[in-house]
Amino acid sequence: MLKKICMTSCLMAALLPAWAQAETGNTHLITLKAVKLDSGQLAYQMVSHKIQDDSGSEEDITGRYAKEPSIPGPTIVMTEGDKAEVTLEQGIKDSDKPVSIHVHGVHYKIDSDGTMKMLNQVTDEAAFPGKPYTYKWTAALGTAGTWPYHDHTFGNPKLGSEDKGLYGTLIVNPKSGQIPGLIDGEIKQVNLKDIKREFILWMHETTFWGMEVNNIVNRQVPLWTNPSLGAREGELVRFHVIGLGTAFHTFHLHGHRWIQPGTTHILDTFNVGPIQRESFVIKAGEGVGPGHWHYHCHVLQHMQSGMMGAFMVIGSK
Amino acid sequence: MKTFKTPPIAGAIMMALASTAVSANPDAANVDDAILSVPGLMPSATLEMTDNPGLWFKDPTDGDALVVIKPGQAVHIKMSEETRSQHTITSLLWPVGAKDFPVDQEKPSDASITKGLDKPGLYVFTCKVHPYMFGAVVVDDPDTKGLDIGSELELVTGVKVPADSDIAKKLLRTFFVVTTPSLWRDYREAEWKVNLPDIPLNIKGQTISLSALSMTMPNKLQTPKTPGVGEVWVNTQFEMIEGKKKPGTATRIDAANWKVVNKVKGVKEEMNHPHNMWPDNTYQHIYQTQWFDKRLLTFERASGKVTSNSEVGESPSHVLTRPADDLLYVAINGGEQVVKMTGGAAPSAVKSINVGPNSSPHGHFITDDGKYMVTPNALSSSVSVVDLDSETNTIIPTGGVIPIAVWGTPDGQRAYAANLLGTPPQLLSSLTVIDIPGKKKLSDINLAADYDPVSGKITGEAYGLLPIQTPVSPDGKYVVTANTLSASITIVDVATNKVIKSLTCEPGCHGVHFGMKKGGGYYAYVGSKFANDLVVVDMDKLEVAGRVLLADGKDTSIVAYNGMGGQGILPLPLVEHGYLKETLKLSGKKQLSSDVEGWLKLLTKEQKGI
Repeated sequence: MLKKICMTSCLMAALLPAWAQAETGNTHLITLKAVKLDSGQLAYQMVSHKIQDDSGSEEDITGRYAKEPSIPGPTIVMTEGDKAEVTLEQGIKDSDKPVSIHVHGVHYKIDSDGTMKMLNQVTDEAAFPGKPYTYKWTAALGTAGTWPYHDHTFGNPKLGSEDKGLYGTLIVNPKSGQIPGLIDGEIKQVNLKDIKREFILWMHETTFWGMEVNNIVNRQVPLWTNPSLGAREGELVRFHVIGLGTAFHTFHLHGHRWIQPGTTHILDTFNVGPIQRESFVIKAGEGVGPGHWHYHCHVLQHMQSGMMGAFMVIGSK
Repeated sequence: MKTFKTPPIAGAIMMALASTAVSANPDAANVDDAILSVPGLMPSATLEMTDNPGLWFKDPTDGDALVVIKPGQAVHIKMSEETRSQHTITSLLWPVGAKDFPVDQEKPSDASITKGLDKPGLYVFTCKVHPYMFGAVVVDDPDTKGLDIGSELELVTGVKVPADSDIAKKLLRTFFVVTTPSLWRDYREAEWKVNLPDIPLNIKGQTISLSALSMTMPNKLQTPKTPGVGEVWVNTQFEMIEGKKKPGTATRIDAANWKVVNKVKGVKEEMNHPHNMWPDNTYQHIYQTQWFDKRLLTFERASGKVTSNSEVGESPSHVLTRPADDLLYVAINGGEQVVKMTGGAAPSAVKSINVGPNSSPHGHFITDDGKYMVTPNALSSSVSVVDLDSETNTIIPTGGVIPIAVWGTPDGQRAYAANLLGTPPQLLSSLTVIDIPGKKKLSDINLAADYDPVSGKITGEAYGLLPIQTPVSPDGKYVVTANTLSASITIVDVATNKVIKSLTCEPGCHGVHFGMKKGGGYYAYVGSKFANDLVVVDMDKLEVAGRVLLADGKDTSIVAYNGMGGQGILPLPLVEHGYLKETLKLSGKKQLSSDVEGWLKLLTKEQKGI
């Protein structure tokens, strides 16, 4: 029996490329496209996402994503131990300029850096029209967290066009399947499978750009600017807050508290600088009940410009 | 599969929702149950704020400053990496009854907004700090004929005008001229042609072609018969120079022959939107603000060599010295202070003088005796009088909207503040008269008393719309104001505080200052943003004496907008006796250059103030 298992996995190992052999986990085969929106902004769009497990079986999860491009771009969810091959297509109307994906947090070799040769000294790691580029990521142990990915080349080889909408979110879940959270007044381990909704909020200039990853129906919903987030009272939901651009922000959610990851500090506000990120789990309406709980940047000038929305906690039936 | 236990969800979302993944979960019988979030506005169009002349609100899809959306769609307005300064996103006009209007921010910042627009019509946005930055959104109902401009438009001052009124049409034409550099008035051409495309507009239900607002005028330069004394420096703020990303130069005109001597370009320093200048009392150095930046640049007048380029604050607009001690006072237009600095080749900050909360001081004035500084506070509808010895500040609320520039009488008694958007509700266009030592408002002067904004009929001399710089003549008799919308120069008689004369200026008429006329008397020099000539007004006759070209056709490093963007004007020698006196004291003591000594010799006793 043991021998048989070994035969299968050893065979698999031989078939897999060397970079994928180090750890066991799923392999994500992802194709993204960079496009121009009617508004003139740029955005990433999910073309295809298939997951191969270590038995070689494949699942197509493309249907979980929005059909249209969005800002922020598609949320890619991996687990420690997973790998990804992310192919980017340049689909930007009226442009032959290179566009890329530079990812934070996970491991990759220098040729998956998503920068131009002038920076990485290796090659132009970007997609051109009709010439996609593939990046290889390893969500190694220790890379769990919420990470940004963004363009690093379009329009300006040193800067890229994240500011124009080419950015998205990568969530690497811990292999343990658990994350700490302040739930029912205590810090405890929360099972990831119990998290019903993930709210992703990017803080850019004086606007929140949102997305919901709904784990109940396995669907991603672009929420665009300063959205109203909705959850049922008592549901476990996870927020992912990421900064972008030049401004520094203070994220605040009314009526709720959470722990600063890795500590026992209890927060209801935190600072977010460009590309800095935080994520936390809460139980919707815990101790305060249903209501339109305001969330906003607490920088006064940003509030004055409308950087806010509602977290709508709906009472249980 | 470890992480994803549900079977694959293929195809359309509705299919997915009917799949086992959903039915396995009783909480998610349908999409309404599962997705409780409500998306915010999705932008259908974008305007990006930039430093590029004309395209201050740029549509990234086609590079112009106008976007068209449908009712119910949203526009996203944001700063881009192409601007180095902070701005406000402020409604200038919108269709009467538009929901949740106007849009505004209290202070300049890096803000972005997404605004849903329901009511068809024209929406124009500006920046209160740099109020010629224009961007427009047309909300067009596809079921009506022509692009919807609307029936009645509301201005930010609360004034409501019919969309077919003269003022509305003026604003519309000006919008296209300002945001289309090819429509700027180039005096190297025989004619100024404003050719607007044949786009059908729906104004009050009537279909009118935009081309009906087209016009052609002859371009006639004219050399003033009597020479001036010294030189005239003009901030040609939009001129694009090879090797520079940011626009702007300082153009030097020799008043003896009215020719361009040279242009100071600041290529290495990226001299960005040079807006206003002032000299030290030897005229060795010229200090210059960079309005779409944070820095003050100092250069040697004779050589054009830059000696300093230092950060002073957000959007520094004007710079003056105090006559007695030659210290600098730099208005920080994007903040609420005037920065006091040491003079010379490399000025450094001494102190910051706060002139009031959210004041945004722009074009200030210092009395000849150096006792008072007066600031027009663009964002707080007030004028501040600062006692410069004690540095105590008195804020005088004026009710003026965007008070942008101020100047005072030689005796230091009165100041005149130009309110770019008038004094609502009565005055569309106004100057506020301030008692400087009394630190109070005296009255408002209606600059457009003889103009009917609906019919466009002009029945007298008082025709000045959107006033900007407004200096008082050195003899204390007249206030000369550059009016950017009406492209006119109004002259107010100080004795009566009435407009006694209106002269034709240029599109974007902006900067005015006085210089010495040879043999006695004064010229007023007037620069315009969207034309490349300098208008010379004879202050003895109150007539235009000439139009002098600011373009230099021989300079091949000028890649665009040759001579355009006329804003700050610095004629040398200075006419203000308080300043001139200090320079005259240095005469004959080997502290002045030979050309300056030569100019001083040409001055009459009256001009010298002795």
